[in-house]
Amino acid sequence: MHTSSLPQAAGPSIAIVGSGPSGCYLAHFLRKRWTDSDIVIFDRLSLPYGLVRYGVAPDHTGTKAVTRQFDRLFERDGVRFVGKTEIGRDITMHQLRAAFDVVVLATGLPADRALGIPGERGADDGLTGVYGSGRVTRLINGHPEESADEVHFGSRVTIVGHGNVAIDLVRLLLTSPEELRSHGVAEDVVGRIMAGPVRHIDVVGRSCAVQAKFDTNMIRELSKIPNVQFFAADRELHTPVGDGQDGTRRDAVAALIAESVPASPADADADVARTVRFHFGWAPDRLTGTGSVDATVFRRADGSVGSLELASDSVLTAIGFSEAVDASLRRSDHESADSHLDSGRLAAGLYCVGWLRRGPHGTIPANRTDAKSVADVVGAAFAAGEFPGGKPGFGGLPERNRV
Amino acid sequence: MSKTVILYGTESGNAELVAEDLAAEMAGDHEVSVYDMSDFDVADFDPAVFVVVVCSTHGDGELPGGAKPLFEALMSERPDLAGITYAMFGLGDSSYETYSQGSEIIDRAFTELGAERVGVYGRHNASDGSLPNDDALEWMRALFEFA
Repeated sequence: MHTSSLPQAAGPSIAIVGSGPSGCYLAHFLRKRWTDSDIVIFDRLSLPYGLVRYGVAPDHTGTKAVTRQFDRLFERDGVRFVGKTEIGRDITMHQLRAAFDVVVLATGLPADRALGIPGERGADDGLTGVYGSGRVTRLINGHPEESADEVHFGSRVTIVGHGNVAIDLVRLLLTSPEELRSHGVAEDVVGRIMAGPVRHIDVVGRSCAVQAKFDTNMIRELSKIPNVQFFAADRELHTPVGDGQDGTRRDAVAALIAESVPASPADADADVARTVRFHFGWAPDRLTGTGSVDATVFRRADGSVGSLELASDSVLTAIGFSEAVDASLRRSDHESADSHLDSGRLAAGLYCVGWLRRGPHGTIPANRTDAKSVADVVGAAFAAGEFPGGKPGFGGLPERNRV
Repeated sequence: MSKTVILYGTESGNAELVAEDLAAEMAGDHEVSVYDMSDFDVADFDPAVFVVVVCSTHGDGELPGGAKPLFEALMSERPDLAGITYAMFGLGDSSYETYSQGSEIIDRAFTELGAERVGVYGRHNASDGSLPNDDALEWMRALFEFA
């Protein structure tokens, strides 16, 4: 009766590598197409859902609720989840492709993009106190490979980047310990955030206020945090809105600033007042300090003369994501002249989806759309006989990988 | 047997699952079909077919991506929907001020074009992390008792 996509019988066996949103949505669309196919999602971690579990802020429960939808894949729709299994290490790509008709890489882009400026750790000479946003959100979300031991936020934090991830960090660093705990944030992590505690945050982006990347609802959400006053320099905030540009993000920041009130003398005395300052149009230039960072220096992004130096107990970078240098699976290793990244096809029977396919842009819904289109491509290729069916699926893997 | 079409407008897929659960629940007593709003043609509205809309909210109270093509077609072609009856179930997250407003955009368009909404305006709030499906099923049972 579901006229939108009629399921066909006797589909291919399918392995999806990575259980983040792209991998799970892909399994959903492929299951709709082939009700009886062997569909297995592998993840190197023991728990599924990737960035939904470890990247989405813990207080965004509405966004995280998409995992309830994915639960149904495993509970009801006969998709198998195989955790603690890293493809390229526990199972080779060769073994996987020998067992499954279709292999789809959905491993995402987990590494924090580096600032690429002097003072940043890269070689061994970098300063401590600089953390990627991915690392921080994993820590806050209880990722098994992150530890709070070496993390010191201090009381003055500089956040580089003006996307939604940067705004998540602003909000989380100013959230009360009680509320953090209520969202399941571990005690040692709450302790690190409160150790300063965080008193002042500078949020610095390259774009002008009109072109900032964050969403307006993220800015509005900041107005609900108690005892915070927001600032920005008038000349940075009131840049002209160009033709065809939309000033709503700039206006949301202006409203946030206008509505935030100075701390009452009592709050100031009690030392509970916090401040956040937005800076627009600044590109990071260098980090300074001895051993650990103590200042961040920015230059004007438009190339004009001028610099901005901010005292920083810690620096959080939120300027995007890339492939991990030590990734056991790389897209480039599987690309050839025969690949067609626009459709997700790497080779006959081998595909990629989500951020790994198209780069670190777009939220969960964008990856749903992506998964839908790749599922259509896989369906069309199978119908056209581009790869044969008949490989055994999960049962064709070495026995030690099937426990 | 009465005919029903369930249209879903979705961003993250929750509205799609709700639509499928509603269809499964109705299947015994109704001839029911499910469409993604982006696959539904405005010419296919038929007064003999009851319409159930399940629509989420995107970002700052906007329509979800999947609902946009149908909404734009309604606004540009302005079909006469007089005689069409429909019921509305909106999804949203009350942590945002614009809770459930995505569905209201579709609701206003339907009403403006002459369709008549029946029953209670169903809403689910995702701010507690719950799935909308149980609420939606309960809403539907009440809807058909009334209808």
